[in-house]
Amino acid sequence: MSMFSIGLSGLNAAQNALNTTSNNISNVYTPSYNRELTQLGEGRVGGGVRVNDIERQFNTYVANQLNNAKTQSSALETYYNQVSQIDNLLADRDAGLSPLMQTFFSSLEDLASSPSDPAARQGVLGTANTLSAQFRSFDGYLQDMQSNINGQIRDEVVQINNSIEQVATLNREISLARARTGEAPNSLLNQRDFLVSELNERLDIKLNVQDGKTYNISLPNGQPLVTGASSFKLEAIQSDYDPQRIVVGYRDSSNNITQLDESTVKGGALGGLMLFRSETLDKTQNQIGQLAVSLSVAFNEQHKQGVDLDGLQGEDFFRVNPLQVTYQTEGAPAVEMSYVADNIDQLRPTDYTIRFEGGEPSVTRRGSGEIVDIGSGWDAANNTLVFGGISMVFSSTPQNGDRFEIQPLRRAASGIEVNINDLDKIAAGQPLNPEDDPADWIAAGAGDNRNALALQELQSRSIVGGNASVSGAYGVIVSDVGNRTNITQVNLDARQGLTDQLRAVQQSESGVSLDEEAANLIRYQQFYQANARVIDTAGTIMDTILNLRN
Amino acid sequence: MRVSTVTMYEQSTASINRQQNDFLKVSQQIASGRRVVNPSDDPQAASRAVGVDQSKAITEQYEDSRVSARNSLAQTESILNSISDAVTSAKTLLIQASSDTLSDVDRESIASELKGVYETMIGQANATDGNGRYIFGGYKDDAPPFVKSPTGNIEYNGDTNTRLQRVDASRLMPVTENGATIFQGAPSGAGYIAEADVANQGSVTFSGPQVTNVNDPDYGESFRVLFAEDGVGNPTYSVEQFDGANWQSVTGLENQPYDVAGEQLSFGGVSLSLKGTPEVGDEILVAQSGSEQRPADLFRTMEAAIRVLETPAENATQKAALRNTLNTSMRDLDNSLDNVLTVRAAAGAKLNELDVIDAVGGNRMLNYEQTLSDLVDLDYADAISEYSLRQVGLQAAQKAFVDIKGMSLFDFM
Repeated sequence: MSMFSIGLSGLNAAQNALNTTSNNISNVYTPSYNRELTQLGEGRVGGGVRVNDIERQFNTYVANQLNNAKTQSSALETYYNQVSQIDNLLADRDAGLSPLMQTFFSSLEDLASSPSDPAARQGVLGTANTLSAQFRSFDGYLQDMQSNINGQIRDEVVQINNSIEQVATLNREISLARARTGEAPNSLLNQRDFLVSELNERLDIKLNVQDGKTYNISLPNGQPLVTGASSFKLEAIQSDYDPQRIVVGYRDSSNNITQLDESTVKGGALGGLMLFRSETLDKTQNQIGQLAVSLSVAFNEQHKQGVDLDGLQGEDFFRVNPLQVTYQTEGAPAVEMSYVADNIDQLRPTDYTIRFEGGEPSVTRRGSGEIVDIGSGWDAANNTLVFGGISMVFSSTPQNGDRFEIQPLRRAASGIEVNINDLDKIAAGQPLNPEDDPADWIAAGAGDNRNALALQELQSRSIVGGNASVSGAYGVIVSDVGNRTNITQVNLDARQGLTDQLRAVQQSESGVSLDEEAANLIRYQQFYQANARVIDTAGTIMDTILNLRN
Repeated sequence: MRVSTVTMYEQSTASINRQQNDFLKVSQQIASGRRVVNPSDDPQAASRAVGVDQSKAITEQYEDSRVSARNSLAQTESILNSISDAVTSAKTLLIQASSDTLSDVDRESIASELKGVYETMIGQANATDGNGRYIFGGYKDDAPPFVKSPTGNIEYNGDTNTRLQRVDASRLMPVTENGATIFQGAPSGAGYIAEADVANQGSVTFSGPQVTNVNDPDYGESFRVLFAEDGVGNPTYSVEQFDGANWQSVTGLENQPYDVAGEQLSFGGVSLSLKGTPEVGDEILVAQSGSEQRPADLFRTMEAAIRVLETPAENATQKAALRNTLNTSMRDLDNSLDNVLTVRAAAGAKLNELDVIDAVGGNRMLNYEQTLSDLVDLDYADAISEYSLRQVGLQAAQKAFVDIKGMSLFDFM
């Protein structure tokens, strides 16, 4: 081996090292990039230097930890973004539901003071309209969030499918490259690791590295998403118990689609959305519905105890949406549902599943799966089921296996409206003969304010869930959402701190430091110059030898 | 540990972001004056604030209610005041009319003056509030409660209800009085009144009745004195007592001889002096005002007095009727005055009660406002020191970023 070739190998190595350094510098802000190091080794025969490897600085262990942390903080972040929207909705103390309920009851006080005064009556109708409009707009806001979530789930699923497909493609390209050169190109590996990290931000996945080369990805419940070069698809589909709801479905290798249980999808933005929807949004919407229905039904009941200015029995003051079954097994009998005014305090802000087995219905709460005690609520002779403040009348006897899904309160607030628009129809008085048939009722006179007083009293009665007044129930919603937002924020801060820390660890290994690269630049430049000098020296020596003849 | 360039920038920007966030939060609190802007800032306080807000709103409702209650009670009180004045002047006129020296013409002029008082009373009884509602109609406040019947008498068309209003959490207060209570009511413990039947043909006049023994077992019952003749044409009297359904003779006071020069009768703890010649079938009722046999009615009293004053007193029968009716009417007016004053005192007491409730309600309101402020309002001293602190923090983070940005080996090559 000559000085020439030794110098040349050095030049070569320096060139490589400079390339690597330049590559590091140029990719300093590339998110997927992992720092590279030129690994030098001795020449095998006769000295010199050789480039053993351009080594990618990637620590699988740290990367996995970081991905895990990202899944969780991304879920919390999505959750927080959503829940803080409700938090903001409730923040406005002057335009929220609570002050409007207060003005409504205060207008009833005016009515009690001057029961036949058209101005007082107009006040009652006006505030009732404002209140019901506010209920509708509250529900509209929450329903918009529901449809936004549906849209976001669709988007997420599209993105996830893209990433899954790319990972599968990269798996193939990497194994091809490996077959060709024995080494995988660093850029492809970087891309694949970055895709996995992105996937983790969208949902929780399990990564299994096969033979240290191929990435296999599956859902936490084991259903595969990527195996080798082939990938499976997720799909955004209608929920099988609520056509209004988009959930995630999994298309397996035989092209069958199965709906993933909402609790299967955890972590990441998708998991955060699903958890927020089932844990907070559904509940808040049900609570608002419960408030609206309890107030309307209790108010209607009291209103019907009174007589209006024309001496007739009071009509329904508020109108609520007719109840509908959200899902029923095909072929199951039609159902008519209604609220039961007498036990409206049994309404609970939950959805129910009703299954018929052995000729008997069994009612469970959706979500918790808790069995509801219906007592003697099932009347087999009349095909009538009464529980939790609602009654269901089946058109025929349901068959065993028939299943019904109901959401008695979910959209209840969306349909609340004031039923009367004639001022005279407000029943401020009570009849002289309340025990008689309402058709024969005799009004006590235009100055009778007894029913107005009774209506006003409703504001302090525990009509919501049997244990809270309307404003108390609203306070519960405020406290629920406030607590949930607060907890999420605290968790997010803690989780974000951990993620930041892990990111710093990952960066300290894989990130580019410009200062370091600047030093390397100088170092390898000198390395290059020194090797050039070796060749120069060798040339000089050769010249000396050649000049001996002269 | 190696620190990558990305980490340096990420950490600086993250810290600036965090500082900025905290700074904004404090600014928002200062701008709104509230510590709890969103429920999540302090869920317990936010939810309690909803409750306190509601209590405050209810207290305000009662406050409004008291304004209108006070309004209608004050109106009632002022009208009752003028009614009691009217009753007093009617009494004065009757005293004038009782003088024996007056001629028929004199009495007629008194009658016309009395009529004026009577019309004033009707006007007051049909008074309306600011909304055109009749104050004394009970629940039937949309038509005049006192109207003249075809026979010329005043009749009450209202009902006996009083409107209640919730003026405090545990107080439903009657805020109106109905016409029946005011004009057809008798004060509790109203005395006995004697009234000669309008069909009497004799010239018996009475004075009294006087209460002699309130502990008499029959005290409070209604009695009547009936006149008849014995076999030889001498007048006799019998006293009968009403047992709730029928008139029953009082033992020992049946067909007693009657002395036309003057007779003192005693029964049921009252005594009645009679004078003058009776005719067979003449009758004098002695009953407590407000009892079933003798319902109180201010307008009826006035009408009876006017009628008798307008009738010339030419013979003994008419003179006796004049004397007896004036006697009865004066006692009735005394009772009515007592009654009106009692109702008026009740209204005054309620007005006083409203003042007390107002004071309590005002205190309660202050408490609620204090609680609400403690729950959600901002302590400015705290907030402003926090504001300065956050400002320093943000400035420091920004300075650190600028310094880090300036440190690069490349700058020295």
